[in-house]
Amino acid sequence: MKRYIIRHLIAAVITLLGATFVLFLIVRLIPGDPAVVIAGPMASSEEVERIRGQLGLDRPFLEQYWTYLSRLVRGDLGVSARTQQPVLLEILARFPYTLKLAVVSAALATVTGVAAGVIAATRRYSVFDYLASFGSLLGVSMPVYWLGILLIVFFAVRLQWLPAAGAEGPGSIVLPAVTLTAYTLALVARMTRATMLEVLEQDYVRTAWAKGLPRPRIIFQHALPNALVPIITVVALQFGSLLGGAVLTESVFAWPGIGLLLVDSIFARDFPMVQGIVLVYSAMIILLNLGVDLLYAYVDPRIRYS
Amino acid sequence: MRSLKRRPFVALAAVLVAALLLTACSGDRSAPAGSSSGGTGGARGDNTFRIAVGIDPDTLDPAGMTTTTVANMVDYIVETLIKIDKDGNIKPGVAESWEVAPDGRSITFELREGVQFHDGTPFNAEAVKFNIERILNPDVRMPLRASYTVIERAEVVDEHTVTLHLKEPAPYLLGALTYTAAGMISPKSVNEHGNSMTAYQHPVGTGPYALKEYTKGSQLVLEKFEDYWGEAPYYDQVVFQIVPEAATRESMLLAGQVDMIILPPTSDIPALQSNSNVRVLLAPSDRTIYAAINTQHPALQDKRVRQALNYAVNKEEIIEHVLFGAADVMDAPMAKPLLGYCQTGPYPYDPEKAKQLLQEAGATDLELEFVTPTGRYLQDYQAAQAIANFLQEVGVQVSLSTMDWPTYTATIMVPPERSTVQIHILGWAPTFMDSQQQMLQFTKDNHPPKGLASSYYTNPQVEELVAQANREVDQEKRQELYCEAAKTIWEDAPWIFLWVQRFPIVHSAKVTNISYLPNEKFDAIYARPAE
Repeated sequence: MKRYIIRHLIAAVITLLGATFVLFLIVRLIPGDPAVVIAGPMASSEEVERIRGQLGLDRPFLEQYWTYLSRLVRGDLGVSARTQQPVLLEILARFPYTLKLAVVSAALATVTGVAAGVIAATRRYSVFDYLASFGSLLGVSMPVYWLGILLIVFFAVRLQWLPAAGAEGPGSIVLPAVTLTAYTLALVARMTRATMLEVLEQDYVRTAWAKGLPRPRIIFQHALPNALVPIITVVALQFGSLLGGAVLTESVFAWPGIGLLLVDSIFARDFPMVQGIVLVYSAMIILLNLGVDLLYAYVDPRIRYS
Repeated sequence: MRSLKRRPFVALAAVLVAALLLTACSGDRSAPAGSSSGGTGGARGDNTFRIAVGIDPDTLDPAGMTTTTVANMVDYIVETLIKIDKDGNIKPGVAESWEVAPDGRSITFELREGVQFHDGTPFNAEAVKFNIERILNPDVRMPLRASYTVIERAEVVDEHTVTLHLKEPAPYLLGALTYTAAGMISPKSVNEHGNSMTAYQHPVGTGPYALKEYTKGSQLVLEKFEDYWGEAPYYDQVVFQIVPEAATRESMLLAGQVDMIILPPTSDIPALQSNSNVRVLLAPSDRTIYAAINTQHPALQDKRVRQALNYAVNKEEIIEHVLFGAADVMDAPMAKPLLGYCQTGPYPYDPEKAKQLLQEAGATDLELEFVTPTGRYLQDYQAAQAIANFLQEVGVQVSLSTMDWPTYTATIMVPPERSTVQIHILGWAPTFMDSQQQMLQFTKDNHPPKGLASSYYTNPQVEELVAQANREVDQEKRQELYCEAAKTIWEDAPWIFLWVQRFPIVHSAKVTNISYLPNEKFDAIYARPAE
């Protein structure tokens, strides 16, 4: 088990290093000069030149990358080109918002999604099953942006139950979380329904029915646990995209997370900031994958012992 | 057997609990207790005025200003020696009066007495000298420095008198000194609040509001400065909420979560105008919107062709149906509030004349690459589509494309021989109300890649008139010189002259006393509840 973890950790570090290089290259390949964007249209060429020098953009690519890497190993993510503040501080100030939104959405998706999936599977072809199927189709296909605006108009403008946007007060997370969760919830519900249906066909479930066990016991003790492994995978992997996919939601709800910061930074061609944020994303995804691998080993002994 | 079956549940629960703990530990710094949701405008009872804006400040250092909205927020905190009013006229700020020497080589300011910075430092001639020296310090990032480098030094005459000595007469400097970039900060503050001379993030000025707290990406909270020298504002607190989406800003206003917003979705302006709960202010501004024509492209060197393009576009109709009234047709190469403006146009919509001019110039098979940014100016892409249609109607083949702003600037800021497009949409908004700034668009020194005079236009007569006007001390003579240049530029048509954009401000009907400045700024410092 120890070797298993160490091997995965080494692979994670190499992946991360590769990600930094690819990223470093890509941001420099997109057209647009950071100094021009940062200085604004009214700036003189002397000032633009001065800013370019300050950002070190006049130096050779490999030298820039080497400087970046040598700072990175010391935990220094550099200084934002746009705000002239340390990248790490900016990310730390805003990452908690993104994380909070992702966690609440994931929790919402898991609880509601599993419940809906189980009911739909056990009452197959019932009205609820059709409703759940329709709902999850809607959830998967509705654009986040549109859903967000609809929720705002209905709950904030019409009913005035919840704040339209911002991150003030406990109520402010409700609409963005519901918006962000829609896709994942739908996915979890469909996944649960499908695996549950499969499990309910198994011999041991038929045996349980034949034994005359009570219905809740069959469903929750015999069937559901065996259906959970693929659901855990979906939830864990979706958590990664909830973190990264919060960009639009954050934008619509003025939620001050790093998704919004990433978009601002891309439009300003703020290379150090983009690199910093994507590095954090990559690290999170790699950690999540590692976590899922370990969780499998824990949940399913067959994986552990093979 | 039982424990094995429970494992998946335990694992799932563990993941969720761990994640919840993680976020609980991360803290929520921006949730003051009892914050409002769905309140009732400025009368929410907390005596706070809330404004939703679309842009998160890149810097709060006045010297670092590039974005008008950010400058607008900083204006609450930091004041300039002199200011402008609604019509663009210069008026006293923290300087009570000023006098330009007859030779134009120095300006003497009499400073207001009894003014102090938020940190208690007295505002005096030494403070002005400190600020001028900071503006000229090359280590401080200051994109708009070029307008101030004509200052040679600041001389302290006495406690409340300061003289700026100039390298050469610079009549535009007064205008430049009204802009936020020349705001006066407390000399002491560069060593406090985590500030340094070059990384200045917590501005301390003399303004009616002092900075209380800035939460990145979320909000900027200001607090009334009790010892302000001028009229005290009504509200104890002003909060700027950063809300990137126009539709969300609009919803927040309609939900009563904020009292005022800028830039609602343009297409919603008519609906907002007919909503009795809000007031719409379409503030005149100095932002000229135009389609710059590559005057060095072989097919476009003949000015008759460029004039034809001007006659081909029905500006009124686009303004009415695409911009929902939020613009005025351009009738000169600069906007009205600018010193040096005189009416030279407009080019009326006349497709027959356009066709005839194209025929005369032998340009009947014109094919043009046309690019536009998206979301940079009001309805830019939508308007460009309409323009392309009008051009097609007079027989010009146009292919229109759009890209994000950084890519866009990279596309148009190239020397003429590397240019890949023939027309592109651009907006130009002088930071201060002087034609010197507008004329940057029509002079050779500012051709890309050096500047953004992206139609590559030059005319020896215009160059000469502009150079003279930029130095002329007599403001009336300057006015005439710029006007003369404007007439030639209009005739030469280096742009399809489109419109002067208005700056939409929407506020709750429960508040009043909200106005604007002509450089796309709102003036809401003295906002108060409506009776």
